[in-house]
Amino acid sequence: MKFRIFRSAEDQTGAGPADPTEAPRMGGQVLPSASADEQVEPKGDAVVEARREDATRAAGETVVSTPASGPIKIAARDVSVFYSGKQALYDVSLDIPDKTVTALIGPSGCGKSTFLRTMNRMNDTISGAKVTGRIAMDDEDINDRSIDPVLLRARVGMVFQRPNPFPKSIYENVAYGPKIHGLVTSKSEMDGVVESALKRAGLWDEVADRLQSSAVGLSGGQQQRLVIARAIAVNPEVILMDEPCSALDPIATARIEELIDELRERFCIVIVTHSMAQAARVSQRTAFFHMGRLVETGDTEDIFQNPRERRTLDYITGRFG
Amino acid sequence: MTDATPDQIDGAAAKTRLDRLRAGLKRRHAKEARFKWFGRLAIAAAMVFLAVLLVRIVEQGHTAFYTHTVTVPVYMDPARIDRAYPQGSNFEQLAAEQQLARWGIQDDDTGGVSRDMKALFSSELKFVAADLVAKRGDVIGETVPLAVPLSDDADLFLKGEISKSTPQDQRRINDRQIAWLERMQAEGVVGSHFNTALFTNGDSTQPELAGVLGAVVGSALMLMVTALIAIPLGVGAAIWLEEFAPKNRLTDIIEVNINNLAAVPSIVYGLLGLALFINWMHLPRASPIVGGLVLALMALPTLVIATRSALKAVPPSIREAALAMGASKTQTVFSHVLPLAMPGVMTGAIISMAHALGETAPLLLIGMVSFVPGVPHAIDQPVGALPSLIYIWENASERAFHERTAAAIIVLLVFMIIMNAAAIILRRRFERRW
Repeated sequence: MKFRIFRSAEDQTGAGPADPTEAPRMGGQVLPSASADEQVEPKGDAVVEARREDATRAAGETVVSTPASGPIKIAARDVSVFYSGKQALYDVSLDIPDKTVTALIGPSGCGKSTFLRTMNRMNDTISGAKVTGRIAMDDEDINDRSIDPVLLRARVGMVFQRPNPFPKSIYENVAYGPKIHGLVTSKSEMDGVVESALKRAGLWDEVADRLQSSAVGLSGGQQQRLVIARAIAVNPEVILMDEPCSALDPIATARIEELIDELRERFCIVIVTHSMAQAARVSQRTAFFHMGRLVETGDTEDIFQNPRERRTLDYITGRFG
Repeated sequence: MTDATPDQIDGAAAKTRLDRLRAGLKRRHAKEARFKWFGRLAIAAAMVFLAVLLVRIVEQGHTAFYTHTVTVPVYMDPARIDRAYPQGSNFEQLAAEQQLARWGIQDDDTGGVSRDMKALFSSELKFVAADLVAKRGDVIGETVPLAVPLSDDADLFLKGEISKSTPQDQRRINDRQIAWLERMQAEGVVGSHFNTALFTNGDSTQPELAGVLGAVVGSALMLMVTALIAIPLGVGAAIWLEEFAPKNRLTDIIEVNINNLAAVPSIVYGLLGLALFINWMHLPRASPIVGGLVLALMALPTLVIATRSALKAVPPSIREAALAMGASKTQTVFSHVLPLAMPGVMTGAIISMAHALGETAPLLLIGMVSFVPGVPHAIDQPVGALPSLIYIWENASERAFHERTAAAIIVLLVFMIIMNAAAIILRRRFERRW
């Protein structure tokens, strides 16, 4: 199992059909090929200064942010969320680059899951929830009246904290998305979609001979990979993951993390995690939330090695949260 | 204290602490044991009541399931039978007189002896004979054996329900009739067999001819109307309230009202049905359509509450999973939430139907206490229903109706047991599928 702290874009060992023309380009975008030391160097002074000032600053006034390189998939601007009038998220502006794993970290109740759920409008399903601000996916406001949340969710898949397969067969679980969205026309095409989704989720070898048995009989880790297969079967552009490993044991967690690393070749992935180590292992970009505000965002390596906000430092070193 | 070393103090403190814990533990165990015994007592009391009820009903009702017939040879006297209209002929008198003649007993001037003899036969004799004559005209002039039920009083005597030791003026069968019955038994013409009339006949003023079929069919028709109206409406309302309705003052009011309606006495629904369906909509009185509508109104709140709690029990993660897959609200509800809630919905539906089946009070108000002979076959005709039949029979003056009341209760209970068993079986089956 790979438990290295940082996984740079170059050492992708992930299986799957990596596009050879795409790989170098991605490498350039996600992380500059330079090592961590070199990266910090040019910004060094500013970082130290920022951190010193941090303690005296009122919370959430400014967000320390290093811009993401590469094309931006989702651009959130001044996003606030209210639950029955109570504000849970304050003016979050965050760019989420494509074909990258972005980790949202922060203590419990900091708004990271709330922010995640704005991106596929799952907050719509909670009565009394209100979202303000603008979230643009490919320069299109997803909260616009013309955008149907049903269609949006076909483009933005989601994986939840606890594995939640439908209590149906494994096959039906994966086939559900393509079926309701009318993406396939024949049974044989559906078989192909199911097989490739299960293969990409790394579950095919384990379930190929029992596709018709109930998904509820799978282990927790298998269920979570099935749920990922279900999400990618509709070929979404973005996959949101809300603490996908928190209900799993370390071995199942490692498999999911490997899978996430493979999936980022094709999808824009946003993952909420409680585990610092996990954020460091799987993500290239990190955003730190605290008390409903985005505190700091930048390349994962920067955040973990040179956090510029005192609160970020305190959190990642385990002083609170 | 000053002499004690710290160790001793600690030791003493630990000892008293342990003592307290022990004492507390004893109390807690005693409380638990007491509670267990209360539970057992409660269950035992419930079982005893149930057993007493069932034993009493079966004891009273089992005799209704068999009956006695007598086979009498009847000479079809051409002089006394009207060929064109056999029903008009007095076959009972004919049979009674011939029976007396066979035994060489003289009738008195007033015909009291033959009247006594006639009273032993059920009035069914007339119809059996008339049917035979109507079907086969050639029996006239011949002697044919007719198997007919004994009258209810004779039947009760043979069942031992009427005792010879009771003074003659206090029983409905006199010493002469008892002697005849015993003579018939000795001749071997009286037989006892399963009381099919109880299950194949409608209600009748003659206990030996009265059956529950009319009421069973009436109840079934009524329940069909109830199910067709209450289940779609109730389940639909519950789904809307639970899954689609906005949570605001209006839906709060609706919810409170539904809960209150479930507690409204059923007789009030009867009044509502009387005013609404009969007086205002002019639907036929005592018909299954009106009964079904009233029972549907009564079953709706229970059904809505049961369905809502079944829907509430579906884990929200399933809804989230479906919604996040891009399923619309309707798809989420109908292909994920409802199937999972189905066992609960079905149980709620069947239990509320069983409740409706046994409901009597509203039926009394819409005219279902009237005597309805025969077996109904349309939903706009007056019918009887099982609970109202029980009510009518219980109030009847003939003693033979009392055992039949208990028998009708047994039939109703069997219906209930079948419905509840169906609820359990359906629940198991649907649960296994998931």
